[in-house]
Amino acid sequence: MDSNRPLLIPSPRTPATQDLPYNTPDLLKPLSSSNPIIPAVSSMDSTNPIDNCPPLPHITSFNSSSSLQNLSSIQSKASVPMRYGSRGADSEALSISQKEINDEDARLIHVNDAGKTNDKFEFAGNSIRTGKYSILTFFPRNLFEQFHRVAYIYFLVIAVLNQLPQLAVFGRAASILPLAFVLLVTAVKDAYEDWRRHQSDRIENNRLATVLVNDQYQQKKWKDIRVGEIIKISASETIPCDMVLLSTSDPTGVAYIQTINLDGESNLKTRYAKQETLSKIPDKDKITGLIKCEKPNRNIYGFQANMEIDEKRVSLGPSNIILRGCEIKNTSWVVGVAVYAGQETKAMLNNSGAPSKRSRLETRMNREIILLSLFLVALCTVVSICAGVWLRRYKDELDYLPFFRKADFSEGEKDTYNYSGWGLEIFFIFLMSVIVFQIMIPISLYISMELVRVGQAYFMIRDTRMYDEASDSRFQCRALNINEDLGQIKYVFSDKTGTLTENKMEFQCASIWGVDYSDGKTNAQGEQAGYSAQVDRQVLRPKMKVKVDPELLRLSKSGKEGKHVHDFFLALAACNTIVPLVVETSEPTLRLLDYQGESPDEQALVYAAAAYGFVLIERTSGHIVIDVQGERHRYNVLGFARSSYETASTALIGRAALLRKVASYVETNLNILGASGIEDKLQQGVPEAIESLRMAGIKVWVLTGDKQETAISIGYSSRLLTGKMTQIIINNNSKESCKKSLEDALIMSKKLMTVSGAANKTEGSSGASVSSVALIIDGTSLVYILDTELEDKLFQLASKCSVVLCCRVAPLQKAGIVALIKKQDRRYDPCHWGCGQEGRQAVMASDFAMGQFRFLVPLLLVHGHWNYQRMGYMILYNFYRNAVFVLVLFWYVLFTCFTLTTAITEWSSVLYSVLYTSLPTIIVGILDKDLGRTSLLKYPQLYGAGQREEIYNAKLFWLTIMDTLWQSIVAFFLPLLAYWESTIDGSSIGDLWTLAVVILVNVHLAMDVIRWTWITHASIWGSIIATCICVIVIDAMPMFSGYWAIFHLAKTGLFWLCLIGISVGAMIPRFVVKLFVQYYRPSDIQIAREAEKFGNFREFGGAEIEMNPIFDPPRR
Amino acid sequence: MSLLVVTSNSRFTQQELPACKPILTPGWVITAFIFIGIIFIPIGLASLFASENVVEIADRYDEDCVPSIYASDMLAYIRSSQTNKSCTKSLTVPKKMKNPIYVYYQLDNFYQNHRRLWEEVEFSLLLVSVFPDMSKSRSDKQLRSKANEFETKDCSPEATFLVSNKEMPIVPCGLIAWSMFNDTYGFSLNDKAIQVNKKGIAWKSDREYKFGSDVYPKKFQSGVIGGAKLDENIPLSQQEDLIVWMRTAALPKFRKLYGKIEVDLEANEKITVVIQNNYNTYSFGGKKTLILSTTSWIGGKNDFLGIAYLTFGGLCLFMVISFIFLYVVRPRPLGDPSYLSWNRNPDGLFAQLRCRFLSDILCAMEEF
Repeated sequence: MDSNRPLLIPSPRTPATQDLPYNTPDLLKPLSSSNPIIPAVSSMDSTNPIDNCPPLPHITSFNSSSSLQNLSSIQSKASVPMRYGSRGADSEALSISQKEINDEDARLIHVNDAGKTNDKFEFAGNSIRTGKYSILTFFPRNLFEQFHRVAYIYFLVIAVLNQLPQLAVFGRAASILPLAFVLLVTAVKDAYEDWRRHQSDRIENNRLATVLVNDQYQQKKWKDIRVGEIIKISASETIPCDMVLLSTSDPTGVAYIQTINLDGESNLKTRYAKQETLSKIPDKDKITGLIKCEKPNRNIYGFQANMEIDEKRVSLGPSNIILRGCEIKNTSWVVGVAVYAGQETKAMLNNSGAPSKRSRLETRMNREIILLSLFLVALCTVVSICAGVWLRRYKDELDYLPFFRKADFSEGEKDTYNYSGWGLEIFFIFLMSVIVFQIMIPISLYISMELVRVGQAYFMIRDTRMYDEASDSRFQCRALNINEDLGQIKYVFSDKTGTLTENKMEFQCASIWGVDYSDGKTNAQGEQAGYSAQVDRQVLRPKMKVKVDPELLRLSKSGKEGKHVHDFFLALAACNTIVPLVVETSEPTLRLLDYQGESPDEQALVYAAAAYGFVLIERTSGHIVIDVQGERHRYNVLGFARSSYETASTALIGRAALLRKVASYVETNLNILGASGIEDKLQQGVPEAIESLRMAGIKVWVLTGDKQETAISIGYSSRLLTGKMTQIIINNNSKESCKKSLEDALIMSKKLMTVSGAANKTEGSSGASVSSVALIIDGTSLVYILDTELEDKLFQLASKCSVVLCCRVAPLQKAGIVALIKKQDRRYDPCHWGCGQEGRQAVMASDFAMGQFRFLVPLLLVHGHWNYQRMGYMILYNFYRNAVFVLVLFWYVLFTCFTLTTAITEWSSVLYSVLYTSLPTIIVGILDKDLGRTSLLKYPQLYGAGQREEIYNAKLFWLTIMDTLWQSIVAFFLPLLAYWESTIDGSSIGDLWTLAVVILVNVHLAMDVIRWTWITHASIWGSIIATCICVIVIDAMPMFSGYWAIFHLAKTGLFWLCLIGISVGAMIPRFVVKLFVQYYRPSDIQIAREAEKFGNFREFGGAEIEMNPIFDPPRR
Repeated sequence: MSLLVVTSNSRFTQQELPACKPILTPGWVITAFIFIGIIFIPIGLASLFASENVVEIADRYDEDCVPSIYASDMLAYIRSSQTNKSCTKSLTVPKKMKNPIYVYYQLDNFYQNHRRLWEEVEFSLLLVSVFPDMSKSRSDKQLRSKANEFETKDCSPEATFLVSNKEMPIVPCGLIAWSMFNDTYGFSLNDKAIQVNKKGIAWKSDREYKFGSDVYPKKFQSGVIGGAKLDENIPLSQQEDLIVWMRTAALPKFRKLYGKIEVDLEANEKITVVIQNNYNTYSFGGKKTLILSTTSWIGGKNDFLGIAYLTFGGLCLFMVISFIFLYVVRPRPLGDPSYLSWNRNPDGLFAQLRCRFLSDILCAMEEF
């Protein structure tokens, strides 16, 4: 059958497809009606919005042809090098379409000849392996992977050093224990995960598929499928590997697939077999051909190849390939040739998870870690210098010192020589002190941080206030290591469609043949029953109901008068890629029509057409069946401009340009039939959310493809803009004028700043009140600004504005804008979030994903704030906790002839950071809350604490270090002096120091805990009790020299007085400083906490509202 | 019941567990400071008082007990087997001392905590032979039971001796035991000897569990002039001087119990002490002091703890007074919204003026 291929329209909402400028409509020739060819222009023109459609209170988005890529998907390209800079973003579009597949970059596949295909190049087989290890490789490989962490290497080096006999400070067991413990826990976790992966791999690999072997179809296990083989798949089967379609059950070569496993989208997508291969039946006439395609890559929306078949060269694109994991629907069978198998399939390549990132707090923390390393080196140097001086001074007497044994005078002969020489001796002492003071660098902190992040993520995910009932989706936390960044966000870049809006398109109004039908009163109730079509005594009804305009409805039914209306709706019903699905209902006679398609706009239009009596009933690639007012019409798809189109679409060089040429040839002398207005409602709570974000001092950037006026009105309705704001609008057509307006705007914003700055000295400290300047800039201006020297000016200006609205921006410009901020503000590391409404692809590429835009507010203001506050405190506390212990050890070394003896038993030294003090800080890091949810949401300004880095900064670090110094001095010297000139033995005073430090450290934490739940109580007091038990157990073992020491010690009053004295004395400075700061220089958080406790939040609120009046958006 | 579980579970996941949120209100602060002050000052006074009541006689004898002709070469004196090591000293009792009176010897600049003396790590690697100075100095296993007599690998160089080409362990082995203190003291009052009870000076736990009753000294300190001797017929568990010595001191200046005098000594009585000055501290400049001391609940004579408690208590009281003063001068209502940064900005200047008016110290603290 000589079929006509429809020209493909890439779905406007498919991210990552190239924006080819051909909006070539399907061309129809009705068979049963005498209507002429309808040049349908409907719905494809964004430059002609119908201004009469009331834009408020909803966003009415005119179905725009420039696809609004969502932001996240743009950023997902970060994985591709070179594409990420602001430079280069624009040129990408061209480079891709003009790219020729070089032979060396290409993959050659001989169709139906797996042997030859795999002969030269060994392509991956189709068995997949998500499991990392086998039984044999587990041990070495897992260890290898674990030691990729610097922390473990540090552990290991220390442990190895300790094994050298002259450096052996701790026993072998004691020094290896912490490392072994951590390794074991991680290994067990990894092994379990891997075992589960292996199980699912086994199931996958053993599934069966029908493969052509020796010209006969046979069942074959998935894992045995090879590239080049021809595979047949029946309806509802899953595709085993990435395949190029050869033919389908549909005579025109259409196949419908569901990609829910791949990107989560449940609507059907159409894929096409090439006409050249359609008629071939592989098991009868032998197909031979050569497919030349690109190397395996992650882009699931892109594919470029060509196929040589029957001496002809055919181009293959993303619409010709079906991917592993998708399901065949509505098509009884398809036949395809495997091109990528196993690990090389796009699904598997995309399986690698989110790349790891480092939070801003952690980056800052690393600076302090370096400082701590310097402290460590300093301590060790002090010890070794002192030891060196000591050895020098007593050089002559070393002979007689029993412990150096330079001369053994008991026997009168020099038999042993225990002195390694001055230099070596000092060097050993240095290394030994590194071993003893090793926990100065808080390695356990990294492990604690990971545990805390897991805990925080658990609470974020379980938060019912971030649960979207409509889509039954919870908050998703895909990147685990940047939780605390959520508390320090400075910029929010947001797309409009699907992010701010629901992405549920609804047909609202239309203008047909120059007549606007939008002001008619829609009779929602009466007419909403909608239209239904009768087929074989069965009723077909569209699944969704659309409000209809009675006037339009009347016109569409009347023959002559409403000819244009008739044509208009016919075009709506016909010119699209929607596939109608018939769904059975409980009523035997009633069936529902479910319109499936990739574009929600098209869906809305088809449903609208159906409501006016133009019901799309069937679509194949060859014909369309439309029920027009009860009459069944069948339309065949015409081939049009085929030769030139095909030349263009198979071209490997300049494909886009050629296609553009074809488009311009087709799109001439068109009559505008009408325009449709589609409404996409703002998501619930968006204005409030944006207002909260603004008040929190977060700069909100909205990037939209709408034109300026529309964008501004959306800005008002979403409370992005308020009447109080000064608007700076930049829309220029040349670089010079851009420069000038940027400079003017900068001067103006500076003026505004000084006016407001005179009143407030703490400029920049609270973002919300500093400036209320809104920058509105359009895509044309951005073309002149991005990638030029004007970028700096734009950044300067933008950083002074609290709101930036970019209108008429192309998708690639959006990436450029984000890259600009990233480049200018180095501290900014993007954390991506995706909103459920944008489709799952956004979710796949994001770090955090949520169902609704408004969840951003609790995420940032509540969880982000908590996470940041917890993590910041935890880092400082861990520094303190380890340093105080190290310093106590250090002070003691000064009293042991600098020989690194520890009074504290080695087991206590080892258990200190593993057991004695680890749990409470993790619990507090997960559970503590400085403020309740209500207060944080009510007063978004409290978010400023994170932006101003109030919880973790250099000043606090140094204060902590000074506090640590004082506390260690008290903890060490109070017992030392109290037991001076006494019979105290090393083990006893060691036990006292152990207990003193552990109690001190836990009391310190207790003093800073804000919210005491029973878990906090249990962990803090439990740790102290556990420590006591451990000390008792260690002292109850006769093989240690400290046998029974603690019991003797506990009988004396002096011991108890020392403990109490240390706990109180060490805390006094910290407590006093805390007290005076809280009382006389309270932070916002402190005041809010007091208000929360004493319930005077209401007056609080009154004052606050005065400061930030909310104006109703002006209506136009 | 299940309802309860559900609610508590969701309360947990929503982070709404019932919680106590203490806030430092002026009332709490003042109470806490006063409370600490009230507790600490009496304790400090009591400690000082107890320490004051301890009567202590200290007599450093290492230099005095060397005859003047050896003053330039004390080492020769102490290392010679020919010299007379006994030395008589006279002590005056300053105040009445009630029994028991503890007799200690105090060593100074003696690093019993030197790591080469104080090791209990139980492994040796190849490198030991290359760097023999990493010898371990004691074997707790050997001390405990006869069965472990040969556990001397940590004791080098004082580990073994050769008997007809057979390595036999030294018991107790190691440098700590080897360096055992061996001066002796004899006390008399008006030519009447005062008994020094040397029973029970070591910990009971050490005597019973740590030092075996079946372990007898062997070849200990043989051939060393002036070295300590242990009676090879008495098991280690009864060698209390050794047990005391083996409990290594924490600090380079330490005391160890020598014995107990179980009679009262009256004020101004003169006691004569005959010291056998055997122990060599001269080689490393160590000092030896004889101590006679009573005890109190706080231990020996040491004012430090009392002073520390008085200081902390006094500091708290000072803080409470200054806080009350500041509170009266510049009260801040808790939770007052006008202090919020976004409300405070307009009168930031005023706030700074007030700050200057108060005190520079406060300003500095407020910076934090």
